Amino acid sequence: MNAELKTTSTIESEPTSTLTTLPMWLVVLMLLLLFWGAMSFDRRGGWFEPKVYGPYVSVPDLERFQPRDRGGPNLPRGKVVFEMTCALCHNSDGMGKPGQFPPLAGSEWVNAPGANRVLRIPLVGLSGPIKIKGQEWNLAMPAMGAALSDDDLAAALSYIRQAWGNKAPPVTAEKVKAIRAELGNRAQPMSADELLRLPEEMK
Amino acid sequence: MKSGALIFLAAFLALAGSWGGFVLAPQIQLGFNVQTNVVGTGELYPQARPGLAKQGLEVYRANGCVYCHSQQVGQDGTLCEIVLTDAGTNATATLAAIAKLDSELAKLDGVILLARLPKAILTVADMNAAEYALKALEAAGAKAETHLAAIGPDIARGWGRRRTVAQDYLFDYPVQLGSRRIGPDLANVGLRLPDANWQLRHLYAPQSEVQGSTMPSYRFLFETRKAGAKPSPDALQLPAVFAPAFGCEIVPKPEAKVLVAYLLSLRADAPLFEAPLTPLAGAAAATNAPSVSTNAPAK
Repeated sequence: MNAELKTTSTIESEPTSTLTTLPMWLVVLMLLLLFWGAMSFDRRGGWFEPKVYGPYVSVPDLERFQPRDRGGPNLPRGKVVFEMTCALCHNSDGMGKPGQFPPLAGSEWVNAPGANRVLRIPLVGLSGPIKIKGQEWNLAMPAMGAALSDDDLAAALSYIRQAWGNKAPPVTAEKVKAIRAELGNRAQPMSADELLRLPEEMK
Repeated sequence: MKSGALIFLAAFLALAGSWGGFVLAPQIQLGFNVQTNVVGTGELYPQARPGLAKQGLEVYRANGCVYCHSQQVGQDGTLCEIVLTDAGTNATATLAAIAKLDSELAKLDGVILLARLPKAILTVADMNAAEYALKALEAAGAKAETHLAAIGPDIARGWGRRRTVAQDYLFDYPVQLGSRRIGPDLANVGLRLPDANWQLRHLYAPQSEVQGSTMPSYRFLFETRKAGAKPSPDALQLPAVFAPAFGCEIVPKPEAKVLVAYLLSLRADAPLFEAPLTPLAGAAAATNAPSVSTNAPAK
């Protein structure tokens, strides 16, 4: 037993560790990997920007794909305004309700090349007899559009002039603004006769 | 314990570091999301799910749908297409403008190129290039639109129109993201399969609607009962192989109805700043469909 112990303790010295230098190639490799990682993060990481998801890499990159405002009518907005304000009566398909609310789809008032007449109706309302698509109506519409902003009213009017097969030019916010100024504080609703006396297109 | 304080500090730092990275940083990044506007409209997105659909989420969760169905759509890139809608009156000028934009198109037969509009004639890098192309085409008297579409395998499978983003899940708790796709992705199932009766039949007997489907049947969400003199309005219209015994009918339990309401409420296709997309044609133009078609009740 003792002899065995003795043989195991014949190792001459304990293993020691000394400070050895890291091989240079390993340091360079690690730095290169770090550099590559940082570059890759910078290019694709989006820098923790919450709005940036792949395949987009940054906010400027995302902005390249945003729809441009082409100065045309904002029909999606118009649809929203229409459905909040007008569709209660005129229905979201623009057909109105028989005997209660006249249709907008295919209406000659809506489809007039100039928006001068139709634009006044939401601003001050309309009352009295009016002929639409060959049918006589005698109702009163309140000034539903008076509270809308110029942009929203222009969008909604452009929408009704271009939806459901209607094909009339859009209405601009400037035009709404001009006519709103012209009408001033008028509280009395329009009548069809008064509208017909107006020129179709504003000069 | 010689260096107890040091060990404690090291352990604390290691745990605090991972907590900061996995909990705090995402919370700072996405935890304060609120409803935003759909790009180009005043509509708020996302809308809270209607009550039935909210209950359906619990059924979805309880039945472990998430183990086989993910609710996340990926996207590899974005295509920006120029869609010619009107060639204008001067075809020569239009063709010249197109040739200037893309020399490859100049080699094609102009008559064929301008036939059958609207059609996508060009794919450009981004909206700036698209704007340039639109201006050139408009100067020639033609009319064109830009069409932004996502591309990628998920999009090609028809599972969505764009990638899903955190905003899509704002009102879901817990979010049923899922990670395995033993079945198809469901992020847009309300858009893809909007028929509530189809969904009910599929839950009752998946193979009756999709041949070779590996989805298990969820018959326990339905009730088999004796048919009265008149079949009840809820009774499923099943093909003969799956139909119940003569004189019986299959009626969905409330769980099945709310689950279907939830499935039909699943859609993530609104154009957002972080996921730009051109809405489907007809989305801006009027349709008779209600504006929020996600609220279809489970009948």
